Amino acid sequence: MTTTRTRLRRGALASTTLAGTALILGASGTMAQDYSRYGIQADTPGICSFEAIDAKDYSGRTLNVITHAIPVIGEPTALHAQQFQELTGATVNVVHVPFGDLFQRIMIPFQTQQSAYDVLFYGSLWLGDFNPYLAEVPEAYQQVSGMQAVTETYRGVASWGGKMLQYTMDGDRHYLKYRADVFANPEAQALFKEKTGRDLTVPATWEEYNEVAAVFTNTDWDNDGAPNFGTAEVTKRDDLMFSAFISRVAPYAKHPDVKGGFFFDLETMTPQVNTPGWVRGLELFVAAQASMPPGGTSFGLGDEIFSFGGGQTLMSYSWDDAFIQAMQEDSPIRNKVAAAMLPGAAEVWNRDTGQWDKFDEPNRVAYVTWGWTSAVAKDSQNQDMAFDFLCFFANEGNTESDLQIGRFGINPYRDSHFDPAFYESALGWDKAVAETYTATLKGIDTAPNQVFDLRVPGVGEFMSSLAAGVARAQSGEQSPQQALDGVAAEWTAIVERIGPDRVREAYANVVALEDR
Amino acid sequence: MRTLYLALKYLAVTLWSAFVIFPFLWMLSTSFKTQNAVTGGATWLPWLQFEPSLAGWRALFGGAGGVNIVKPYLNSVVVTGTASAIALVLGTLAAYGLSRFSFRAGPIRNGDITFFFISQRIMPPIVLAIPFFLMLRWLGLLDSLPGLILVYVAALMPIAVWVMVDFFNTIPRALDEMAWMDGCTPVTTFIRVILPNVLPGLVVAGMFCLIFGWNDFFFAFTLTFTKTQLLPVSIVALNSSVTPWWSLSAAAIVSVAPLAVLAFVVERFLASGGLKGAVR
Amino acid sequence: MYRQKYIFLLPGLLVLIAVILFPLIFTIRVSFSSWDVYNPGLNDAGGAMYARMWEDARYWQALWRLSLLSVATVLIQYLLGFALALLVWRDIAARRFFRVLFLVPMMTTPVVMSVIWRTIFHESLGPLNPILEGLGIGAQPWLSHPGFAFVAVIIVEVWQWTPFMFLLLLAGLLSLPSEPFLAAKIDGAGPIRTFLSVTFPMMGAISVGAILIRAIEASKIMETVYVLTSGGPGTSTETVSYYIYIRGMRDFQIGYSAALSLTYLIIMAVALTLIAKALMRLMVRGAGA
Repeated sequence: MTTTRTRLRRGALASTTLAGTALILGASGTMAQDYSRYGIQADTPGICSFEAIDAKDYSGRTLNVITHAIPVIGEPTALHAQQFQELTGATVNVVHVPFGDLFQRIMIPFQTQQSAYDVLFYGSLWLGDFNPYLAEVPEAYQQVSGMQAVTETYRGVASWGGKMLQYTMDGDRHYLKYRADVFANPEAQALFKEKTGRDLTVPATWEEYNEVAAVFTNTDWDNDGAPNFGTAEVTKRDDLMFSAFISRVAPYAKHPDVKGGFFFDLETMTPQVNTPGWVRGLELFVAAQASMPPGGTSFGLGDEIFSFGGGQTLMSYSWDDAFIQAMQEDSPIRNKVAAAMLPGAAEVWNRDTGQWDKFDEPNRVAYVTWGWTSAVAKDSQNQDMAFDFLCFFANEGNTESDLQIGRFGINPYRDSHFDPAFYESALGWDKAVAETYTATLKGIDTAPNQVFDLRVPGVGEFMSSLAAGVARAQSGEQSPQQALDGVAAEWTAIVERIGPDRVREAYANVVALEDR
Repeated sequence: MRTLYLALKYLAVTLWSAFVIFPFLWMLSTSFKTQNAVTGGATWLPWLQFEPSLAGWRALFGGAGGVNIVKPYLNSVVVTGTASAIALVLGTLAAYGLSRFSFRAGPIRNGDITFFFISQRIMPPIVLAIPFFLMLRWLGLLDSLPGLILVYVAALMPIAVWVMVDFFNTIPRALDEMAWMDGCTPVTTFIRVILPNVLPGLVVAGMFCLIFGWNDFFFAFTLTFTKTQLLPVSIVALNSSVTPWWSLSAAAIVSVAPLAVLAFVVERFLASGGLKGAVR
Repeated sequence: MYRQKYIFLLPGLLVLIAVILFPLIFTIRVSFSSWDVYNPGLNDAGGAMYARMWEDARYWQALWRLSLLSVATVLIQYLLGFALALLVWRDIAARRFFRVLFLVPMMTTPVVMSVIWRTIFHESLGPLNPILEGLGIGAQPWLSHPGFAFVAVIIVEVWQWTPFMFLLLLAGLLSLPSEPFLAAKIDGAGPIRTFLSVTFPMMGAISVGAILIRAIEASKIMETVYVLTSGGPGTSTETVSYYIYIRGMRDFQIGYSAALSLTYLIIMAVALTLIAKALMRLMVRGAGA
């Protein structure tokens, strides 16, 4: 718990005076305050800038913030809370909660009308549940340069029913990461050719992904004496495994020409989870277990990051963390990795016609999943200060410096973040790595076929039911078809309980993002 | 035969000791590692197998990538200490009453009342989370030390009652009766005559209260927001999607330290025979 | 002067009733509502939650699994705790050192230690599998195989709570009178017969108390499962507490989890009372009940 509350009165006075001076000087256009001591390159002017925040005086007021555990998102929250405290004189209390408990820690006070937190950092997919309790982002903050530069995809993620309820401070999506050095290695290429009869290429379908993983698993392809493995995936139930599963399902089940819903048929609200495309995805997920490292069938996200980021596995897919981990300055596999779009599918289930459609160019689906976001509680007595904190948190200077620290978990979400030159100069990445990385992220951001999380009330229940079903198939308790039939039955029951119209109304928001 | 027996005995004791120490050694070693040392596979020896770093330890005292555990530590001491003391006083009084006098209300007898106390431990904390939350909200005690102390008193008192009832039962009633004949009231009898005789029992009961109080995670987690943080909650705050094994290990060591001292205290009482009757 | 007896009992009793009564009544009330994430508040759902529970196979499986898990852990803890207590009871060098050492695991925070154990069981980065390989046993799928994950949970529980048994039983041994042992010696009884006819019978009452308290605590097992396995692989390590946690906190079905909780409380209270009676009859000589 980073509870940092005291601030020397003298310091407060001094900086208010300083800010005042800066204002006067700024107005006369001669010089600006220097905020480089906060580790930023430049202070982009505007109401969210260091200078503007410094000019505010919130002494005697308290801001309560709930955020994720340290370091991912939690550490930058603590850091910027400390800075905000120094600049404005406010007291900022921050609580860090492990991901698995974050939802209920926010929801219990909401439902019992207890005003516990002013600012919330959480997974953007919970918007379907949280939206009644959130304050709309005021127009002035929507107009600041930092918010205007947020890509359309992530502005869409932040909105609910036409209102912006979330303050975007992170961009997340799933993509493929692989060891470029191995794919370029002639010996590896020869081995692959010998075993499969085709050339080694970056997997374009999940079948190819499984095939590559199987060839290279349990061999020492980096010659360090320890065996290496094919694939690291998030497979631990209740640990975001549902996201990994959806990544694998999406290209088989999200037909580019079929509109009106991926999880449900929006018209009938029939769950699609046990349709052939989903079952195919699960079969491949289960088959890939043979190419995972020891324990790989119960990997949490942290394990996946350690496994690929530590050089144990050839391929992996999930959020940016493992890639950034691999690219850390002291990493043994720095500049030996590359990024690509998630593998696709050569055959896609078409639910309108009820058959598999063949694709010459594999169907690729960009899965924009999770994504840390922030919001201000509607019942907060400190909305002015809360939005100032968020816009300060996400101002250009802060974000650029946060992007450079891998463990912070803050990933590109503005147009300017997709510039490879930034990663070359600021982080010292090789040109090729920076280019595959930014091209991949940009490709996802502008992909014609996108899938978003199921942002409806009760998303936690839907996903926990899905994960439990997938887990039953993984452990062999049930066949993929049986397991997903079970999930579909549970989903129908959940929809029935919540009320089909309510779920449909919420889900329409998601479908609108996908079908736009 | 005798040598074989001794050899087996020492072998068994050594094996169990190894099992007990194993996680502590691993924690100690891990607390000096960095991410690369962790992802490189299991290692034990600093300098020889990995380059040690103090980052994990610094993180606990305000360093980068950590939480400052000083304040939560103090909060934990205050809450655990106060709640244990109150629970011990109330529990000891109740236990003495249950041991010496007979109570009845309808079909309810002493045995049932004792069972009622102990049965409170059956409730899993998860059942109580929301009701306690609402109750503390109504009392205005959410996210505060007094609120947590109140809850912990209720959670710990059953343990004190359980230990102390058995304990008082081993003290001969003749002792009370002699005191009454000397003109003591039950209250003065209890304070002057009985209490000095149950000191070891108080040590055991107090130890259990401290252990269960110090190590509780769930109540400390669900009944606070931002201001009142206890140690286990602030340690779990390090359990992010990327788990920093190093700082977690350091935090675990720090959290064990004060209670490990308890082990020495209890052992002293064991050795001096002071616990005689504590478990009858 | 017997009026004063209430001075002893009432303060504690009233505090406990005051703190516990509201949650209990509230839980009963909530279990007849369908409070969940989308319909907060207390409505009247009749017995719908109980009907749903009746058909919830996962709940009953978890209950069965919990019984298995707590019986296994408590039994192992009792046997090991007793054995260890006997070992350091007398005639051993450095016994005070061993006694302190054996107590320490109990002092650690379960939720934190479970995270540490998870790193130990980590199949490619943890220290356990390399050691097993060194011993020629070979690496094991500790957290990714249903059976092994179950064993892993038991190992952690045994590590953490055997000291509790050890402490109570050692204190019991140290408080035994010496006359019966002298008598047994005069009769020429060997160590095994002495144990069976003298030591064990005299430890009956203590054993029952220790086993019961451990059983109560073990029935709540939650943190270990939560951190170590999340109930997986599949649902192979899901216990009742953890399942209630998933339904109540993760899925936020407050009404349903209240119904699960109450049922669980009643089952546990009955089961533990029966176990207590059975153990008393079995292990305590001359106990009528």
